[in-house]
Amino acid sequence: MASFELICPAGTLAALRAAVDAGADSVYVGFRDETNARNFPGLNFSRKELRQGVDYAHARGKQVFVAINTYPTAGNAGAWHRAVDDAADNGADAVILADLGLLDYASKSRPKLRLHLSVQASAANPEAIGLYRDAFGVRRVVLPRVLTINDIAKLNAEIDIETEVFVFGGMCPMAEGRCSLSSYATGRSPNRNGVCSPASHVRYETRGSKLVSRLGAFTINTFDEEEPAGYPTLCKGRFTTHDKASYLFEEPTSLNALHLLPDLKAAGVKALKIEGRQRGKAYIAQVVAACRDALDRFDRGQSYDATALDRVTEGGKDTAGAYGRAWR
Amino acid sequence: MNDRTNFRGPPERTMETLFARLALTLAQPLGGRLIQPVLDLMMSTLARRHPDAFERMAELGEADLLVDPVDLPAAFLLHVGERPGLKVCDRATQANARVRGAFASLLDLFEGRIDGDALFFSRDLTIEGDTELVVGMRNSLDGEDFDLAADFGALFGPLANLPLRRPLTSLAGTLIGLHEVLLAPALRRLEQVERRLGRLEEGKR
Repeated sequence: MASFELICPAGTLAALRAAVDAGADSVYVGFRDETNARNFPGLNFSRKELRQGVDYAHARGKQVFVAINTYPTAGNAGAWHRAVDDAADNGADAVILADLGLLDYASKSRPKLRLHLSVQASAANPEAIGLYRDAFGVRRVVLPRVLTINDIAKLNAEIDIETEVFVFGGMCPMAEGRCSLSSYATGRSPNRNGVCSPASHVRYETRGSKLVSRLGAFTINTFDEEEPAGYPTLCKGRFTTHDKASYLFEEPTSLNALHLLPDLKAAGVKALKIEGRQRGKAYIAQVVAACRDALDRFDRGQSYDATALDRVTEGGKDTAGAYGRAWR
Repeated sequence: MNDRTNFRGPPERTMETLFARLALTLAQPLGGRLIQPVLDLMMSTLARRHPDAFERMAELGEADLLVDPVDLPAAFLLHVGERPGLKVCDRATQANARVRGAFASLLDLFEGRIDGDALFFSRDLTIEGDTELVVGMRNSLDGEDFDLAADFGALFGPLANLPLRRPLTSLAGTLIGLHEVLLAPALRRLEQVERRLGRLEEGKR
């Protein structure tokens, strides 16, 4: 039996096929609206595309999860309820939810539908996770990217549902679902509208040999000529304090925890998740294949290359994030 | 640290690059008269073979995207919306957004063979202007499985299957190498002037 289930992202039907073909056990997707946390222009699935994706995955013995992981605005939960119903009706194997009201709706109206708790819920202690399990029948929790390996091991010893953690991709250093940095800069909330640093508010400018990235009224970074660039997110901005420019929260970097597979297994983790529904199908194919290869080699007791993906990382760098955080 | 050379176009793109460079060089003195019917035919062929991608592009609204291959003598203006169109233009043409990179990388991006974010991180791709338009465009194209050789090969009927690709690619690589050797001194001087202008511009800020 494999040590881990590999959960892979897809923003389009082509990317879903690429993920399945490259070795995903399960693929997670979202609908083309604000009900999910990757509401980017031109991205995501129609209902018809979800059906096609589910058929493609099921024919190959793989699963499809649907992320409905933003928070409905008060009195306006219709789109979120429809998303749960349509995911179930189109054959999704699980839905990934964060909002308490939506969990309540899904557990009552679709009692056979498997429920996963999104990282957007930021559930990081046994009491919170126990509540989601007891009240709504949640079967798996996606843990926030702020926990150490020891934290995860202690948590798994005290809970009796599956845990899923991020192994590769974009590195959010905040308590997810509770971060308001992007909302502050743009007026649009990642937790309600589904997009952090919305493209409508991002501008890149070339100033001589430098690349300047801006979000709303804020300059996020200035990259020198040969310096690898990063996403225009405030948490990875380079700001000047006391006359010195530095990364106050996190550098432009991607998470890569492939070298920690033995520790994650010992900590009792069930599933490993790759971030990146907004990335292209070429990235999906490359990253999923590399992770599949690493997991298979790990299961056979062979050595594997944890650095094979260095060239697709944000800023040309990677980090073990909170798993190996040495606090400043 | 990133190895930037990793994101340069693969060798088989030398054929397409040489062909595009030659076509644009020859067509420029004649304005759009020679090349526009070819571009129109290409767009109508793609629209017929990939209706879903064109439907998604139409949802982006009416806008112009300047596609600027740095190694070709001209740029392309792509109009998206209800009546999409493509035309050759000067690289100073005004547009809602601009995407700049090597022609081979842009082709790879169009066909979804390479990750646009990785190209951007490695600075092999530059975007300016309306970022939402660029992101929407990238996602609309990436959701489709484009294969330009197959898409346009159909136009040539049985000729598309002739086993000429390998020798032509090899010849193209040689010609491009020669072309770059001849142009290298001029390009170096141009880069020096660009850097000097950049420094002057920064000094003004």
